[in-house]
Amino acid sequence: MEIYFAQLLNGLVYGMLLFLTAAGLSLIFGLMNVVSLAHGSFFMLGAYIALSVTRQTQNFWLALLIAPALTVAIGLVMERVFMRPLYRRGHLDQVLLTFGFTFVFFDAVRWIWGSDIRKLAAPEALQGSVEIAGGMFSTYRLFLLALGAGLALILWLVMERSRLGAMVRAGVDDSAMAAGLGANIPALFTGVFGAGVALAALGGVAAGPVLGLYPGMDGDILIPSFIVIVIGGMGSLRGAFVGSLLVGIADAFGKAYVPALSMFLIYLLMAFFLLVRPQGLFGIKGGVAPAGMVVAVGMAFNRPQLARMLSLVALLVLAAFPLFVADYHRTLVSEIFVFAIFAMSLDLILGYTGLPSFGHAGFFGLGAYVVIVLGSLFGLNGWLGLLVAIPITALAAAVIGFFCVRTSGITFLMLTLAFSQLLYSIAFKWRDVTGGSDGIGIAGRPTLFGWSLDDPLALYYMTFFFFVLCYLGLRRLIASPLGHSFVGVRENESRMRAIGYATGEYKLLAFTIGGTLAGFSGGLYALFNGFVSPEALHWSASGDVLIMAMLGGAGTLVGPVIGAAVFLLMKNLVSSWNDHWMMIIGVVFIACVMFFPGGIWGMLRDRLARARA
Amino acid sequence: MLEIDRIDTFHGESHILRGVSFDVAEGEVVCLLGRNGAGKTTTLMSIMGYLVPRSGAMRLRGRSIAGLPSHQIARAGVGFVPQERGIFPSLTVRENLTVFARTTPGARWTLDRIYQVFPRLRERERNLGFQLSGGEQQMLSIARALMLNPDLLLLDEPSEGLAPMIVNEIVEVMRGLKKEGLAILLVEQNLHTALAVADRHHVVNKGEIMFTGTSAELEADESVKSRYLAV
Repeated sequence: MEIYFAQLLNGLVYGMLLFLTAAGLSLIFGLMNVVSLAHGSFFMLGAYIALSVTRQTQNFWLALLIAPALTVAIGLVMERVFMRPLYRRGHLDQVLLTFGFTFVFFDAVRWIWGSDIRKLAAPEALQGSVEIAGGMFSTYRLFLLALGAGLALILWLVMERSRLGAMVRAGVDDSAMAAGLGANIPALFTGVFGAGVALAALGGVAAGPVLGLYPGMDGDILIPSFIVIVIGGMGSLRGAFVGSLLVGIADAFGKAYVPALSMFLIYLLMAFFLLVRPQGLFGIKGGVAPAGMVVAVGMAFNRPQLARMLSLVALLVLAAFPLFVADYHRTLVSEIFVFAIFAMSLDLILGYTGLPSFGHAGFFGLGAYVVIVLGSLFGLNGWLGLLVAIPITALAAAVIGFFCVRTSGITFLMLTLAFSQLLYSIAFKWRDVTGGSDGIGIAGRPTLFGWSLDDPLALYYMTFFFFVLCYLGLRRLIASPLGHSFVGVRENESRMRAIGYATGEYKLLAFTIGGTLAGFSGGLYALFNGFVSPEALHWSASGDVLIMAMLGGAGTLVGPVIGAAVFLLMKNLVSSWNDHWMMIIGVVFIACVMFFPGGIWGMLRDRLARARA
Repeated sequence: MLEIDRIDTFHGESHILRGVSFDVAEGEVVCLLGRNGAGKTTTLMSIMGYLVPRSGAMRLRGRSIAGLPSHQIARAGVGFVPQERGIFPSLTVRENLTVFARTTPGARWTLDRIYQVFPRLRERERNLGFQLSGGEQQMLSIARALMLNPDLLLLDEPSEGLAPMIVNEIVEVMRGLKKEGLAILLVEQNLHTALAVADRHHVVNKGEIMFTGTSAELEADESVKSRYLAV
């Protein structure tokens, strides 16, 4: 009995911490339709700033006040200066902008405080423990419980009982109408954003003595918070509260009784709610999202002859390139080929069909693991592994797609993210097969007609060949009636449905094809890299490939290729002379989202079109 | 009160309003009449700042309101009652009335006075916005705009989709407001309602004003009625 009670209490404590993040995330989404991926970063910043404050003052309570205040100041600068100009653009731009900031904040934390795990000391008054119902509980945890419950109550009172709360609710209901009655919506949003950041930062400080501090704690709180919102319903405070407690309790009992499956339990919970109640428990605006999620519009390059000539030149240059350079460059360009396929496969889903997937790395990593695991367990030849990876990732994409394509917009984004994290946790937990966090190496690379792939030159031509093959195949697909249907779904789904297209099936098909191709590129990556670890499936890898596609220009085939090249070149070049490549990429990426909404390729094409006109 | 001077408004690339000009004097009820898609609602959207005209001028009490954000136009003294009523579904009736109210002491409209004029709203005070009938929603939307104590009320087809009895009630409300000297810009498709309330009429077609005149002049002009109105 006491044991159950103890787990329940632990679950409630974790649930309260989740609530502090999820509440802000949910309110910000409800009012402005913005999902802030940087919300986890504010949790992290709050905790680290508190670390410095307590070190200076030895006073936890002071830190509990100062750290959120400083974090709010940072958050408000981000909202006012960077997010505000983007409100009139699509959601995806805002998601990507905040993703760029997660890079910057992550690197800043590593820079200032280092990468070691730290712990915030609980205040002395709360360091003991208390006996309840025969069990001992740390006073600090009880304090967290009271703090969370108290804040939830205050939040509820403000939202339901005050005029300010009524204004926020009115804005969530219909922001245009509220503006027409005199509500200053931008100011209201700044206020809600600030309050959300304050809650997240406060949660970070409060969690410090329990969960510890480390770079990466941002993602560790963000993902469960997303699941909370998917379960509880978007934009609903009550949903965030109930969802947080459910996830917290499921997590605590999972860790205690089925440790091997503990990470899945909350995903199972999510899948269950999705099947039973897709809009979430208290959802008010579940699947609402305009069709025009994606900024870039696929405008065909209208000089076929020039294009063909340029392609031929590019092909010849790329074929001759490795003969004149060192192995380092050969390897780098091979990697670009692999990631170019990966980015193009995402673009089929994102740019052409208009579905903002944030979990694409799941399929990439799955493909890579299939090749390496089958090789190491059964001695399967790498080429055969690559072949087997195709149906396996296709199946995974079809199953995950089945759940995801019922939703759209931000919900779709969060779901794909959650499913890829599920795959991540399988790779992480299934140590016997996957090697867990250490990763697993390839048993032996296959040969290319007797030419060993250990030779970078062979590797180069192998990846080059598959890149060209995939590029041509995708180009043909996009020009086909099926490809046009995908674009039709993106442009106007309801009209497509009205003229007789089963749009859900088209979305599922696009998702499955894209996922399969991603799995194939993952298989190639396994052959190329000779090693895979759970990092390949992590949500930040999904973010990277999203950056590649958007940076280059979504909704085109050339764009993602350019994006992959720029991203990897930057990562390699910058990391060779500076440790802070994440910071630099983050900043470059923020600038790109703000100033070149169509991506690099989109900008080049606009310039060309204008020069011609 | 309100002067609209040759405004041109676009929806994306399509040119909706073409040089629309009219004005509303203090205490006057002016009606914009026309069929669906004539540009009536677009005119209100332009006044409220939801759409920004590419050219032309708009003045409220002599002060330019072109390019101002919607909330500043509302605060400058315009009460907006949109076609779809815009009731906040998760707020109670009372919250809908008070949330953005501008009732300084001595103001003409207070919650008590609203409840006198619209007794039905007092009965429904604790109901949520989505629990109201169409007529109640319309009343609430008008009452909510009055709670801003505006100098000018914009009404977008207040009689649309309502039962004849409720339409009569709303006409009575509008007449009462007129008697108090409130300036109203009414958008209507229904000639009958327009004639029952307004002093002057502008008939709009394809984004241009085709006719301007008093109720008597409009009633006498058979060709305008048959060409531009669904009579």
